[in-house]
Amino acid sequence: MIHLSRITPIALLLAAALATSGLAQANENAEPVAKILQEKPFAQTRVALQISDGSEEKQALVLNVASNLLKFYGPDKIDIEVVAFGPGLRLLFKDNVNSQRIQELAAAGVRFSACDNTITSMAKLLGHPPELNPIARIVPAGIVRMVELNKAGFFVARP
Amino acid sequence: MKPQTTNKKIQRYLALTSLCAGIFAAMPSAHAANWIMLQGTEPAGTAPRAEVWGFIQPTYSKDFSNAFAGKYVPPKLVGPSLDSQSSFNILRARIGVRGTGFPLDNKINYFILTEFGNNAMTNGGAYGNYTPVLTDASVTLNYIPGARIRLGLFKYPGAEEGLQGINMSPYVNFTDVTNQMLQERFPTKGQGNIAPQATPNANMNAYSQPSSGFRDVGAQVFDAFDVGSWEHTYAVMLGNGNGVNMTDTNNSKDLYLYWSSAYLFDKSAKGAFQPSLKMFTWYQNGKRNNVWNTTQEQDRKRYGAGVAYLKMPFRVTAEYMWGKGMIFQGAQNPGNGTMTAASIFNDNKASGGYLEGGWYIPNTKWELDLRYDTYKRNTGIMSGPTPEANFRTWTTGVNYHFNKKTRLTVDYAFRKDSAVTTATNNQLKDVKGLLTLQVTAAF
Repeated sequence: MIHLSRITPIALLLAAALATSGLAQANENAEPVAKILQEKPFAQTRVALQISDGSEEKQALVLNVASNLLKFYGPDKIDIEVVAFGPGLRLLFKDNVNSQRIQELAAAGVRFSACDNTITSMAKLLGHPPELNPIARIVPAGIVRMVELNKAGFFVARP
Repeated sequence: MKPQTTNKKIQRYLALTSLCAGIFAAMPSAHAANWIMLQGTEPAGTAPRAEVWGFIQPTYSKDFSNAFAGKYVPPKLVGPSLDSQSSFNILRARIGVRGTGFPLDNKINYFILTEFGNNAMTNGGAYGNYTPVLTDASVTLNYIPGARIRLGLFKYPGAEEGLQGINMSPYVNFTDVTNQMLQERFPTKGQGNIAPQATPNANMNAYSQPSSGFRDVGAQVFDAFDVGSWEHTYAVMLGNGNGVNMTDTNNSKDLYLYWSSAYLFDKSAKGAFQPSLKMFTWYQNGKRNNVWNTTQEQDRKRYGAGVAYLKMPFRVTAEYMWGKGMIFQGAQNPGNGTMTAASIFNDNKASGGYLEGGWYIPNTKWELDLRYDTYKRNTGIMSGPTPEANFRTWTTGVNYHFNKKTRLTVDYAFRKDSAVTTATNNQLKDVKGLLTLQVTAAF
C-alpha cells in the first residue's frame, strides 16, 4: 500500500511534462497542380481521392483504394493524390494510427494534401493548429484542390 | 436405474459429445492481446466521439454434484443466487460507450460500461437485491510520451484471466484460482455465514455488495513500447482497493504493478486477436479493514506470472499466482466477527494456476478448448474453520462462431475438490461435473 503524500511530487512532475508537450511543427505547402503534372510524366492514369469523413472505416477505405490503384496500374503508371479536408483531415494527424500505411503509400509516390481552411478552423477549436503528419502538404482549400486536379485531368473519387 | 448412475452416464455422454462436435467443425475467442492498451486507449485519429457497444450472455448451467446429508454448499449450486442446481440466467448484459469526446484531440479518451446481467457484481445474494452496477468509467490522458494516465473506475492491471475482455473468454466460468483468489468479495457487518442448505431456494450467497470484477477506482500510469518485433507494456496503478464501490474504506491505497513483453508475429495486426507470444507478471498489495472491528487491518497481497500464445490455429495460455491475506472462504462464508467461524478476514495463503489451449479448426466455425486449473486454499492449515482445501478442474469446451460477433460456448467441467478436515471434505468430495451453455452476442 502507498500513502498519497508520497505520490504528490510525481504528480507535479507529470503535470509539468503535460504542460510542455504538444509543440506543433509546420508542414510545407503543396506544389501547384501544373507542377505536379511534370513529376510523373509517364503516368497514364491520374486519380484524386477525397477524404472528408473522419471515421475509421472511411480512412481505411481511402487508403485501401490508393493501395489497390497502385497494385493494379503500378507506381510509375499512376499518379494519386489524397486530399483531406473537413473531418477527413484527421487522417493526416501526426499520431493517426494509419501513419505507417500513409508512410508506405507516400514512399510509393502517393501525395497527401491537407486543407488549410480546415486547419484554420480546427486551430480555433483546439487553441492551436493540429499537429500533422510530416508527409502532408498544405493546400489553401481542399475542395479547390479537387477542382484544380479535376481540371488537369485527374479522375475524382470519394470512396 | 439409480439417479447417480444416470448422472454419470449423462456426464460422460455430454463430455464425449462436446469433444466430438468440435472435431467436425471463425472468429476466435482471444487470449494474447494487449488488454492494458486495448481497454485504456482509443486509436488516434480514427476514434469516434461515441461508440456504443456491449454484449449479452444468456447462459444455462447444470450442476451434477451430489448433496451431503441432503444439503448443498456453493460449489454444488448455480451462481450467483446459489439456489438450485440448474438454471437459465442472463449472466452478463453490458452496454457502454467509448471514444474520444472531442475528436480533434487524440489525447483524451473515455470508457464507460454498465452491467445489467445477473452475476456476483449485481446479484445481492441472500441479504441484498439485484442492482445494476457501473463497472467502468474512466478517462485517459495521452499527453506524456511513455506515461499515459488513466483515471477513474476500470480493470486494474493484473492476471490475464481477469484483465481480458470477458466477452472474449473462451470459457463460460472462471478458473477456481481466479474466481476465489482474485475475484474479491466485500463482506458487510451483520450479514453472517450461511450453513449448508437444501434445494430449492438454498440461497447460499452471503455477499450483498458487488464483487470486484477485477476493477478498482484509482489512477494508472501506463504505456507500451515497440522494440523491433517486441512490444513491452507497463502499468502502475494506485486504487482504493474497494472494487466497483466508488469510495475507499480506509486511508491506504492499493498498489498494482504490471509488466508484459510480447513478441508480435504480425505487427500490422491489431486488437484482441493479435498473433503474439506474451509473457507477463503482476503484483498487487493493499490493506483491508475487518468490517466487524474496523480497528483491525489486514494486508492483502496477490502476485503472479504467465504466458499467452496466440497464432492461428492454436492458442496456449498458462498462469500461476499466489495470494496472502483476505483469502475467500466460499460465497456462504463472509465471516461473522468470531474466530470460530470461517471468515474472509484472515492472513491465510493460497496459490493456483491453469494451463489451457485452444484449436481453431481451420476453415470451419468451430473451436475446441481444454483447460486444467488447480487451486490450493488456506495452504498449510490442517484444522479449524479455514482448513486447507484443493480444487482441481478439467474443462472441455467447444465454441461455435456464428459470425464475428456471436458464438455459442458449451463447456463441461470435471471437478475434484477436497479438504484436509473431515467436515469440510464432506462438503467438497461430492462436487462433480458442471455443464454450461452460453451464447455471447456482442454489438
